[in-house]
Amino acid sequence: MSETMLIFGGWVAAGLTIFLFSFLYKDNPFFKVTEHLYLGAGMGWVFQTVLFQTWKPKVWEPLQAGDWTVLIPTVLGLSLVTQFFPRISWISRYGFTFIMGYGSGLVIPLTISTDLLKQIGGTIAPFMVSEISRANIGSLINGSIVAIGFICVLFYFFFSVEHKGVVKKASNIGIYFLMLYFGAAFGNTVMGRFSLLYGRFDDLYKYSAPKYFYATHVILAALVIYFVVDHFRKKKPEIEEEAA
Amino acid sequence: MLKTRLNLAVIAVFLAVSSVSAAAPASQKNDLPKPDFAGFEAKDMPYDKGEAVLLTWPAGAADVPGALYQVYAAGADGVWVKADEFPADSRFAADFDLPFWAWKHDSTLHAMQVELPSFFKDFKTGQEYGFKLKYVNGKTSAESAEVKAVAAANMFNLARLNNLVLLVVTIIVFFWTVSHAKRKGLFIRRIAGLDAIDEAIGRATEMGRPIFYSTGIGGMSAIPTIASTSILSEVARKVASYDTQLKVPHFDPIVMTVSKEIVKQAYTEAERPDSYRDDINFFVSQDQFSYAASVDGMIHREKPAACFFIGHFMAESLLLAEVGATTGAIQIAGTEQESQLPFFFTSCDYTLIGEELYAAGAYLSKEPMLLSTLKVQDFGKAFVMFAVGAGSLLLLAGTWFNWQPLLKVVGHIFKAY
Repeated sequence: MSETMLIFGGWVAAGLTIFLFSFLYKDNPFFKVTEHLYLGAGMGWVFQTVLFQTWKPKVWEPLQAGDWTVLIPTVLGLSLVTQFFPRISWISRYGFTFIMGYGSGLVIPLTISTDLLKQIGGTIAPFMVSEISRANIGSLINGSIVAIGFICVLFYFFFSVEHKGVVKKASNIGIYFLMLYFGAAFGNTVMGRFSLLYGRFDDLYKYSAPKYFYATHVILAALVIYFVVDHFRKKKPEIEEEAA
Repeated sequence: MLKTRLNLAVIAVFLAVSSVSAAAPASQKNDLPKPDFAGFEAKDMPYDKGEAVLLTWPAGAADVPGALYQVYAAGADGVWVKADEFPADSRFAADFDLPFWAWKHDSTLHAMQVELPSFFKDFKTGQEYGFKLKYVNGKTSAESAEVKAVAAANMFNLARLNNLVLLVVTIIVFFWTVSHAKRKGLFIRRIAGLDAIDEAIGRATEMGRPIFYSTGIGGMSAIPTIASTSILSEVARKVASYDTQLKVPHFDPIVMTVSKEIVKQAYTEAERPDSYRDDINFFVSQDQFSYAASVDGMIHREKPAACFFIGHFMAESLLLAEVGATTGAIQIAGTEQESQLPFFFTSCDYTLIGEELYAAGAYLSKEPMLLSTLKVQDFGKAFVMFAVGAGSLLLLAGTWFNWQPLLKVVGHIFKAY
């Protein structure tokens, strides 16, 4: 990549990042431009991905190799496009029916496997020890706490039973377990998000170097000037209106 | 003369003895036990998609530490490829990770699975492949005769029999609860997040502002999306009867098409087909963050009175809900993604947690069919609770009394293969 293109890329990256962050202050035309650019670029990316990673290897190339069976799913998929033509939109139902049936067939056994068997197997796994000794008593207690918490959480999700008496007490304990988990998940995800933020800040710092002609500084200053001018430009008519 | 003969005899005896003593170690070396390759077999690996072959041969005295087995495979071109090498005292049928009802855990039989696509780039199911075994122990080695096998796809995976049994039981319980719900009706406990739907729509009507409803970024086959569309139906019905404005931005074109039909149906059921517009449901983007950025912009500019974020959400959950909160909209969210629920808790007024989302359709419509699905779910939960309790106790009893078969049976029954 040439040096000019590298500098241009740095300005675009810094500009788009700052324009998107500007939404934290308030909505503005720079954010709108970036938003629509992001939307368009995202759609373009998805389109080329579908074209080159699905249509070409899964439809075009098999057809060229003489595998005509790929026409069946292709026609079913194309039937969805008939939604745009009200007179023949009924054809799309065949495609949708297939998608729903296929999806259910795939999901139901998987749900039984993951939500029931793996869940039960995972919860009772700590009790599968070679012997009960001092060495593993800690893991057995830990396993017992997890099993009790698991059962209490399930009590909270009972819908066809009124929550009163023992059920209410168990479901309240379940809520504490849930909140513990959600708190841990929240902290974990926030840490992940901060690492993404640091990544953007790192890039902005990189583009603030003389090599990029202080892209970050210049764009940031220009945006601040815009907000100041815009603030006074919008305030003026209000004062005039009040005077009138 | 006699002396000469005697000397010759002594030399002959010495030579004979030395030849015998020299030959003894050699014969001893050759007498090292060799494996019994007579029982070496290759056959299609059961319960797979047709890409593996199972090799079996009897274990024996030759399986000593230091000895090795080498496995070779050849395709139609006859070129032998070394598929594996492992210590002779390993890889037994007893080590296979398959349940007791589908596999004989025999510790007197060597067994190994050869994944053919790993060794043959031009692998095709149904093609015949040759296999041979080589035994190496120091200078002692032995080679089996070539055996052939064809890898075939299996229609039925017996290892997943526990999954099938649970599915059949679920279906039976479902039909029983459907008939029960139709005859006697079923009780459902109060769900605060769903009771707030009326409040949210009423607020939007009073303020004259739109309602935003996002079905998330899941496809139509995702269960949360299916649950979300059933809630959308109820929301659209109420929106139609209050004559409020509804906006449903979509991530997935198929979900959008299904939602269009659902909203249209809801407007018709509310006897307001004239109020229905085709642009209530509209496509935004199939890129996660482009979708979030665009919907954020819409929410910020149009300042809706109520926002619903119900379905499958990932990292965009907080981006959407946070912007909705800044506009002062009443927000109701629901997802099955545990990692995103904390964000909805912090930025929304009401949050449906996992199963509550699935219960929503039944809760709102009170249809016997949907109510019975809730009952089936509750039976499922009761089964899981019982299984966890009983399974834990049985495993502890098995360990305490050293009942290995009990540990094996319980472990296999509650394992997903």
